[in-house]
Amino acid sequence: MSVEAIATALIAAAILTSMPLMLAAVGEAIAERAGLLNLGIEGSMLCAGFASFWLTLKTDSVTLGLLIGAAVGLAIGLVFGTLATVLNANQVVLGLGVTLAGTGGTAFLFREVYGSDQPLLSGGPGRPFEGWFDWLPVIGPAIGDQRWFVFVAWFMVLAGHLFLVRTPSGLQLRAAGESPFGLEAVGGNVTMVRIGAAAIGGVFYGFGGAALAVVELGFFSPGSTAGAGFLAVALAMLGRLSPLRVALFTLAFGLLTGLDIGLQIAGVDARPEFLRMLPYAGIVIGLVALGRGVRMPRALGQAYGGISSRR
Amino acid sequence: MNAVPVTSGERTRHDTPGADTALASLLESLLAIALAIAIAGLILIIAGHDPLNVFPQLVDRTLLRSAGLEEVLVRTTPLLLAGLAVLIAAKAGLWNIGVDGQVLVGALAAAVVGGWLVDASRPVLWAGAMLAAIVGGAVWTIVPALFRAFWEINEIVTTIMFNYIAISMSAWLVKGPLRDQTLVAPQTPLIPPELRFVGLGDTRVHIGLVFAVAIWIAASFWLHRSVAGLEVRAVGESPRAARHAMIPVTVVLAVALVASGGLAGVVGGNDVLSTKGTFQAEWYPGYGLSAFALVFLARRHVLALLPAALFLGMLAYGADVMPRAAGIHSAFFALFEGILLIVLAAFRWRPWRRKSGGHR
Repeated sequence: MSVEAIATALIAAAILTSMPLMLAAVGEAIAERAGLLNLGIEGSMLCAGFASFWLTLKTDSVTLGLLIGAAVGLAIGLVFGTLATVLNANQVVLGLGVTLAGTGGTAFLFREVYGSDQPLLSGGPGRPFEGWFDWLPVIGPAIGDQRWFVFVAWFMVLAGHLFLVRTPSGLQLRAAGESPFGLEAVGGNVTMVRIGAAAIGGVFYGFGGAALAVVELGFFSPGSTAGAGFLAVALAMLGRLSPLRVALFTLAFGLLTGLDIGLQIAGVDARPEFLRMLPYAGIVIGLVALGRGVRMPRALGQAYGGISSRR
Repeated sequence: MNAVPVTSGERTRHDTPGADTALASLLESLLAIALAIAIAGLILIIAGHDPLNVFPQLVDRTLLRSAGLEEVLVRTTPLLLAGLAVLIAAKAGLWNIGVDGQVLVGALAAAVVGGWLVDASRPVLWAGAMLAAIVGGAVWTIVPALFRAFWEINEIVTTIMFNYIAISMSAWLVKGPLRDQTLVAPQTPLIPPELRFVGLGDTRVHIGLVFAVAIWIAASFWLHRSVAGLEVRAVGESPRAARHAMIPVTVVLAVALVASGGLAGVVGGNDVLSTKGTFQAEWYPGYGLSAFALVFLARRHVLALLPAALFLGMLAYGADVMPRAAGIHSAFFALFEGILLIVLAAFRWRPWRRKSGGHR
C-alpha cells in the first residue's frame, strides 16, 4: 500500500469513527448553551443504540433503526429537561443517574433479549457518493467512501450551528443559558426553552448512539459506547460550545485516535495501551491551552428559580 | 447531623424545604428507595420476572444469611471510602467524577509497594502499601485540582479524562514495565494471603472495614469540628462569601480535591490488601457512580454515609449472587442504582447552587 492510500484509509476511518462522537458533542454543546450540563449522554447513547440495533435486526432497515434511536434520545432528553427545570433537579446527579441507568438497563435488556448471543448486522447504509470527490487527492476518496448517514450527520451539525447563531429561537436558547432572568424579563419562557434544548440535544445523542451501533460498528453490545458520552462533554468544552468548532475538534480527535493504527503500520514500537491514553491526555492539554479564560454560559448547570427568586 | 445548621427556626436561603432536619432527610431517602423499587419492579414485570420473588430473595441472600451479611460488609468497605471521597469534594462544591481513575492508581501503587515489602512484617507492609495508595490517588488529582483552583477549568471534565488515562496507563504499566514475569496473567507480584488484611474472627469480613469506619469517623470530625472542615464547607456553600471571610478559596479547593483523590486511593489500597492481593490489567471495579448514588442517598450528610454504604453494599453483593439465585442479570443492580440517582436528583434540592455566577 502506498503512503497516500494509507493516509486516505486513515482519514476515512477517522471521519466514520468520529461521527457518532461528533453528534453527541454537538448535542451537548447545544444543551450547554441553554444552561443544561447533561452528563447522561453515555446512557442516552446506549439506550438509543440498543433500540436502533433491535429494530434494525428485526426490520432489516437501517433508516428505521436510526429513527427509533433518535426517538429514544428525544424521549430521554425530554425527561432530563423536564426534571432539570420543572423539578429543579441537580443536573450533574441527574445526568450521572441517566448514565448509570442507561448502562445497566441496556446490559440487562440485552441479556434478556439475546441471552449470551452476540447478533451482528449484515451490511450497512449505502455509499451514494463513491467516486464523486476523486479529483481531490487523498481527502477526496476518503469523503466519497462514506456511508450516507455520515453526510446527514454533518448536515445536522451545520443546521444546528446555523440554528444556534442565526435564528431567533437560537438566540432565545443562548439567552436561557447566558441570562435566564433577562430572557424571562423580555417575555421568554426559560423552562420551555431549556426543555426544548434538552430535547434537541437528546435527538443528537440518540442519532449518535444509533449511528454507533448500526452505521459504525454493525452490532450493539453492553457498554459499546466505551465512554463516548463523557468524551463528548470534554470535546464540547474544548470547542467552546460552538457546534462547528466542536465538530472540527471531534474530527481532529478522531484522526489522533486513528494515529495509533497508523503508527503501528509505520512500525513504531509502542504498546497499544500507551497509545490509547494519548488522545485523552491531548484533550487535557487542549483544555489548558484553549480553555483558560474561556467563559462558559453564565447559568450553566444552575437551576432557574424564576425571576422572583432574584435578589 | 445537619450540613447546614438552622438557627432559631429561621430558614436561610441555602436551606431547601424538607432537607433541614435529619428526620426529613431520612424520610426522603426512604421514599426515594421505595420509588426506585417501584420503578425497577415495573421493569422486572415487563421483562417477565416476578418482583415479589426477586426483592425478598435479595433481602434473604444478602441480609438474612450470615454468609451473605459478611459479603455485604466486605463490599461496604470500599463503598464507604469512595463515598467519603466524593463527599469531601462535594462539601467544597466540587464534583470528583474521577474516583474510578484514582482508585486504579491507588491500587496500582499499593500493589507495587506491597510487592516490594513482602519480606517486611505485616504492619510495615500494610502501612507502606496504604501510604502508597493515598499518594497515588492524591497525585492523580493534582492536575485537575490545580487547573480547577487556579484557572477555573471545570474539574468534571478533567477528572473524567483522568479516568480514561488511568485505565490505559495502568494496563500499559502492568502489561509492560511492572509486570511480574513469573506469572502467566499480566499482573503485579502477588501479596501472599497471610500478609493481607486479617479477617475479623472467623468471618470473611476483614480489618479494612475497621479502618474504613475509623477514617469515616475522623473525616466526620474533620469536616464538622475543625477549622479546615469549616473552610471547606464555607467554600462549598458560597465561594464569594468565603473569599470575603478571608478564606483562601483557591487553596481550599485544591486541597479538598486532592484529599478526595487520596481517599479514593485508599479504596484501591484496601482492595489490593484484602480481596485482590495484586493488580491485574483490565481490572476496573467502577465504584465512582455507585459512590455518587451513595452520597446522594445519604443526602450529603456525613453520618448517613454508613447506612447508605450498607444499602449499596447489599446491592453490590446482590449483583454477585442474584444471577444464580433468581436468574437476574447483575446489570439490573446498576439499573437500580441509576433509577435511585434519578429519583434522588428529582427531589427539590439544590445544595450546589452557585450564588456567584461562577464558572459552571
